[in-house]
Amino acid sequence: MTSTTPTTAPAREFPLPLRRLLHARESGVFAALLLLFLLGTVLTPGFAQSDNLLSVGQQIAQIGIMAVGVTFVIVNGEIDLSVGSTYALSAISTGMLISDGWSWPLAMAAGLAVGALAGLLNGLAVVVLGVPSFIVTLGTLSVFRGVALLISDGAPISLSSSQEGVAEFSLLGQGELFGVIPMQLVFFAAVAALGVVLLARSRFGFNSYAVGGNREAARLVGVNVKRVKLTAFVLSGFTAGLAGVLGLSFLSYVQGVTGQGLELTVISAVIIGGAALFGGSGTMWGTVIGVAFIGLLQNILNIKGISSFWQTVVTGLVIVAAVAADTWQRKRKSRA
Amino acid sequence: MAAAPRSATTGTASALSGKNAGDTSATAISVRGLSRSFGPVRALSDVSFDVPAGEITALLGENGAGKSTLLKILAGLQPPSAGSVTVFGEEVASFSPSSMLDRYGVAIVPQELSLLPDRSVAENVLSGVEPGNRWFPSRRQMMERTRDLLAELDLRVDPTVPVRSLDLATQQLVVVARSIARGCRVLIMDEPTAMLTPSEAERLFALMESLKAAGTTMLYVSHRMPEVFRLADRIEVLRDGAHVASWRNADTTPDQAVAAMVGRELGAFTRRAAHTADPGVSPALRVRELSGRRHSGVSFEVRPGEILGVAGLPDSGRVELLHNLFGGDRGSGGTVELLGEPYQRRNPIASVERRLAFVPGERRAQGLLTTMSVGENIGALTTKAFSRFGLVRRGAFDRQAAEQGRKLRVKTATMGQPITSLSGGNQQKAVLGRWLAIDPGVLILDEPTRGVDVGAKAEIYEQLFALAGKGLAILCSSSDLPELLTLTDRIAVMSEGRLVDVVETTEATEESLMTLATGATPTAA
Repeated sequence: MTSTTPTTAPAREFPLPLRRLLHARESGVFAALLLLFLLGTVLTPGFAQSDNLLSVGQQIAQIGIMAVGVTFVIVNGEIDLSVGSTYALSAISTGMLISDGWSWPLAMAAGLAVGALAGLLNGLAVVVLGVPSFIVTLGTLSVFRGVALLISDGAPISLSSSQEGVAEFSLLGQGELFGVIPMQLVFFAAVAALGVVLLARSRFGFNSYAVGGNREAARLVGVNVKRVKLTAFVLSGFTAGLAGVLGLSFLSYVQGVTGQGLELTVISAVIIGGAALFGGSGTMWGTVIGVAFIGLLQNILNIKGISSFWQTVVTGLVIVAAVAADTWQRKRKSRA
Repeated sequence: MAAAPRSATTGTASALSGKNAGDTSATAISVRGLSRSFGPVRALSDVSFDVPAGEITALLGENGAGKSTLLKILAGLQPPSAGSVTVFGEEVASFSPSSMLDRYGVAIVPQELSLLPDRSVAENVLSGVEPGNRWFPSRRQMMERTRDLLAELDLRVDPTVPVRSLDLATQQLVVVARSIARGCRVLIMDEPTAMLTPSEAERLFALMESLKAAGTTMLYVSHRMPEVFRLADRIEVLRDGAHVASWRNADTTPDQAVAAMVGRELGAFTRRAAHTADPGVSPALRVRELSGRRHSGVSFEVRPGEILGVAGLPDSGRVELLHNLFGGDRGSGGTVELLGEPYQRRNPIASVERRLAFVPGERRAQGLLTTMSVGENIGALTTKAFSRFGLVRRGAFDRQAAEQGRKLRVKTATMGQPITSLSGGNQQKAVLGRWLAIDPGVLILDEPTRGVDVGAKAEIYEQLFALAGKGLAILCSSSDLPELLTLTDRIAVMSEGRLVDVVETTEATEESLMTLATGATPTAA
């Protein structure tokens, strides 16, 4: 398609929708996802049944919600390593407030606010102090975790179902829409839909690609680089907080060490979905597909009874393979 | 100094002269039928010429003539699409920087010097050929050998200091010394004098003379006619990717060489009808005693419909002045009046709101939204106008971008194509085009046609003339003096951070501008 003879701005300036779909960045990952699905169907009995797939949806929901937020940060050319700790901090905050007798909507709002605030702090350190986000969030990965352990005094928090309101709160994570679709999956779908619109259609999304691709050029066309990056970090903190609250609701239990290492799974999903760590590329659809890919892969390995140690190995290999395939494809394109 | 005596006993003497002793063949590099295409763009087509051994050959050509591509091929940075290169009788089989250097003895001094800034001069000069054992180079031997080599080249540089502490000109000499240390027989230099002051250039010329005396073959690119006619034995001219002329120095004149470089295409760049701004109209841009990074006390005015050029050497502060005006850099003093209103706290966001447009000089680093499409690059300033509740109406946005692209004749297969897939000229048209969306009152441009082919250059000129014709005030900085002479009505010349004079373009020549810019009397050529 790059070999098309250049003409002076022809009548049809934009590719047809179908061609667009075929040439879309995420088409490669999507093909891989389909292949994995077929493989699962053939190799593992019971894989393609709706209750299994719905349970996969349940399992990936929290990762997926966090990945939506982290995608904004990565498209901006930054990274957020602190989301696993933010997850715990929000869950602990909400859990402690409910235990203290707060009504659950208020406690939940407070937990979400804690997440957004954590993101805001990350963002401020990056744009105001100018510290690279890798360093900032490596620091806050530890700081937020520490605060979560401090405020809970290291003790686990269990919500007692006999307490007023806790049963309702638990429905967020444990309930099922129409008695079939896990509520967590509904949350993920809603967050992902908002994420798609925000990244692909909003000015903020446009500016994110501009800033991530070439910060200086974006600044010189009047993009408020600092505000765009700050917004991305707040979204990342907020989604991590939401996932944390849902996690608390699902288990009625949280402790200071909950969600350790989650950031790596989340970032993996975004990378498998096609976003480049250099920034300026990637789509929300890609991230959703990346999340689904990781979920299905783990599910297949689980059903096959393959040890979780091997699962870790395979996930790691998939990340490297995905990026290698992407690099290879790009090289081939640029050579053509 | 040209025939500096050298001691034949030191190890470096052999590095400098020994290798060439046996080369009696007359041709160092022979290029035959060399072509190179980038997508649809043909950067070089069927170029053939010889570089005689032991001589200095100058390669001339306008921006975009294919010089850089040719040099890159000779340095092994790019393979040719067709044709062959023969070095001292041996045809080059694999094009890579290491094989060109180690196997064929061809080294390049690029415009962007590739030194390790925090390592010492000696470590840089001898990198790759460190004396002593492979894992633990001997520091003492390294210093000694570098000192000998530098003495032989008559360079007074302390081998122990980090390269970062040297000025640009000296760093360049270090790169030359490094090439010699690696045993190069053919030295290629890409516009080595572009960033140098006249006295710095003299040091380089002295070095080139002494290398020539020692038998080193040199191929070098320059835009400066006086130095070319002083140094070069042969002159080769490229135009639009083709080899168009070849002379011995004595057989041609600077005028003839310039005519060959420019060719008929000069006709395309006709100056627009002399324009005299109506003195009754108040200036669109009025600058008083403006100071900032590398410039101070700069005052001038640009009236609607006028194109004011800014000339000056690369370090004259003219680029920093433009960034200060637009608000990309912070200024330190002075006042700016834009379209009749004072504009003091300048920043890009406010500039866009006040209809001040800026096309920066470093297109790749400062102009392109590198990961986005052609349409998104053109429409970058319209997202606000086309958005509702923070969501961009893509249909309207795309239509507007396509319309702008058509107006500026951006050649692209589709507007959805990545911007990086376009040629330099079309990228530049897109970057210029994006600003037309805000209906600018003042347009600032830096190097408007750097890395742009001749055809696109003409189109950009036409576009700028048309914009000025509609009453836009244009401030255009360029290191390409013929460009300023073609494009502008008046030219402000900067030297060492000061605006030294504003001259009428009709009364200016390249020489008069250069004299003002260098702050020197005309160089005897």
